[in-house]
Amino acid sequence: MIQLHNVSMSYQGDAPALNDITLKIPKGDFVFLTGQSGAGKSTLLKLIYAELSPTRGQVLIDGQNLTRLSRSQIPLLRRNIGVVFQDYKLLPNRTVLENVAITLEVLGWGKRDIGRKVFHMLKQLGIEDKVNATPLKLSGGQQQRVALARALVNDPKILIADEPTGNLDDENKEQILEIFKEANIRGTTVVVATHDRRVITNSHRRVIRLEKGRVIEDGGAAPEHAAIGEDGYEQ
Amino acid sequence: MSNKAKHAVRPKLEQEGFFGRFSYFSSRALANLRQNTFVSVVTVGTIALALLIASLFLLVYVNLDHMAQGWSDKVQVTVYFDKEPAPLAVTALKGRIMNIPGASKVVFVSQQEAEKRLRARLKGQESLLEGVTADVLPASMEISLDRSNRDTAQVASFVSALKKIDGIGEVQYGEEWVKRFNSFMNLFRLMGMLLGSFLAVTVLFIVSNTIKLTIYARKDELEVLGLVGATRFFIKAPFLIEGILQGALGAVLSVVALLVCYYTFLKNAGNFLGVNPASAGLSFLPPAHLAGILLGGVLLGFIGSATSLRRFVNV
Ligand SMILES: Nc1ncnc2c1ncn2[C@@H]1O[C@H](COP(=O)(O)OP(=O)(O)O)[C@@H](O)[C@H]1O
Ligand SMILES: [Mg+2]
Repeated sequence: MIQLHNVSMSYQGDAPALNDITLKIPKGDFVFLTGQSGAGKSTLLKLIYAELSPTRGQVLIDGQNLTRLSRSQIPLLRRNIGVVFQDYKLLPNRTVLENVAITLEVLGWGKRDIGRKVFHMLKQLGIEDKVNATPLKLSGGQQQRVALARALVNDPKILIADEPTGNLDDENKEQILEIFKEANIRGTTVVVATHDRRVITNSHRRVIRLEKGRVIEDGGAAPEHAAIGEDGYEQ
Repeated sequence: MSNKAKHAVRPKLEQEGFFGRFSYFSSRALANLRQNTFVSVVTVGTIALALLIASLFLLVYVNLDHMAQGWSDKVQVTVYFDKEPAPLAVTALKGRIMNIPGASKVVFVSQQEAEKRLRARLKGQESLLEGVTADVLPASMEISLDRSNRDTAQVASFVSALKKIDGIGEVQYGEEWVKRFNSFMNLFRLMGMLLGSFLAVTVLFIVSNTIKLTIYARKDELEVLGLVGATRFFIKAPFLIEGILQGALGAVLSVVALLVCYYTFLKNAGNFLGVNPASAGLSFLPPAHLAGILLGGVLLGFIGSATSLRRFVNV
């Protein structure tokens, strides 16, 4: 469960990027965070994985107040949160295998277990043949999948993705969304920031719309309640 | 796929305990060295070059110091006798002089011996010695001091102890020369120390900035590790090991380069320095100094990495 209570966030000296936001994302939920560029989507996501801390208000993850977290506790929080960054943040001089393995190495997994788990993950995403390639030799869609694999390989409780469909073609978008849904079905809470209307309308999920740092719309519907969309598209 | 929450059963951690972790960190460090070839070459090269300059300085300094120490062999205290003492008295005096702390050698020069020396000196100009007989020249005792007892003050206190012995006549020890020599040595060491520390600071500055740049070039890696939940220690350890390895490698290279420099031109540079052409040339650094260079390299790599990491790891 992710909770924000009266959260405001201003970058140094600027007008607030987030302004008095209160919202609750239950465990197992699948939420789209939308709004124009500059609305505050990325900022909100960064608060969840504690890259930023709010100027005012509280952020709670599973009841744990992030503003009270000590520096040494932040890594433990992040091990439960998989993040797909807007710019992927893949390491160009490491192979796909090594890039994805990082998540498990941090947890102290052994080499053989890591190899097996990473390969399995890559297979699920359809890029197992790229295991020894370096990221710069991959297409955008493939890089996106590697970033996803790194975020999902330890079955995190929460998956966060910032504009994951940004520069993908329609086919790739569909496939990436499908992966999110599968993770969600396995119990992972999913929060996706996107300004791509098509992605949102086709998915029939809860949509939180931000504008100038405020929530202006929260089409809140838990996944169970949004099983059938208006177009009869089954979830 | 089942609808139930199905988080993977986590396998047993293989890398628990210090050694498990250490082997992971080391293999990570080695992989980093391999994957960042250019950056590693630059760092190792900088450390090697910096240490080479420092160790060239050290080599010249150690040799000059050694040479100057040799000059102090000239610090001698001479006792002149009005009347040549009897052989038995000479032996007794020798014993008493050797008992004074700091004395290392006592040689008795009889009147005869003194005359012989003078003749040898004036070879070819014997006419000058006409009418000079042995009794005109005084008998003397030449006393050498320990290397560690050649300070101006130490020589003076030795002389005052010497004067207390019965039967000692006039004592001469080139007071001025000792003073001048010792102040020269002090100045020489001070200059060496100043130059040396200036060099050390420069080396530290250059190396730490190079490492800072190379770590800056990899700040993405540090960031990603932090974002996937690595602890500060986990992020830093491989970089620190890498720094130590680079430092050690740089030190070894600098010693190799020093050897090359030494055998190509320094070994025979004694003539150039204009001293003691008989033993022509400089000697190489002793093993303790070489060990110091190695340690210096390791410390440079470690401290350079540690300080730079503090800047870029903000987990
Ligand atoms: N690092 C930053 N420093 C200063 N201002 C920032 C920074 N990041 C974002 N902002 C500002 O905060 C506001 C929200 O940005 P962001 O959260 O990135 O929006 P979105 O992801 O919805 O496009 C914008 O006005 C943006 O200019
Ligand atoms: Mg954004």
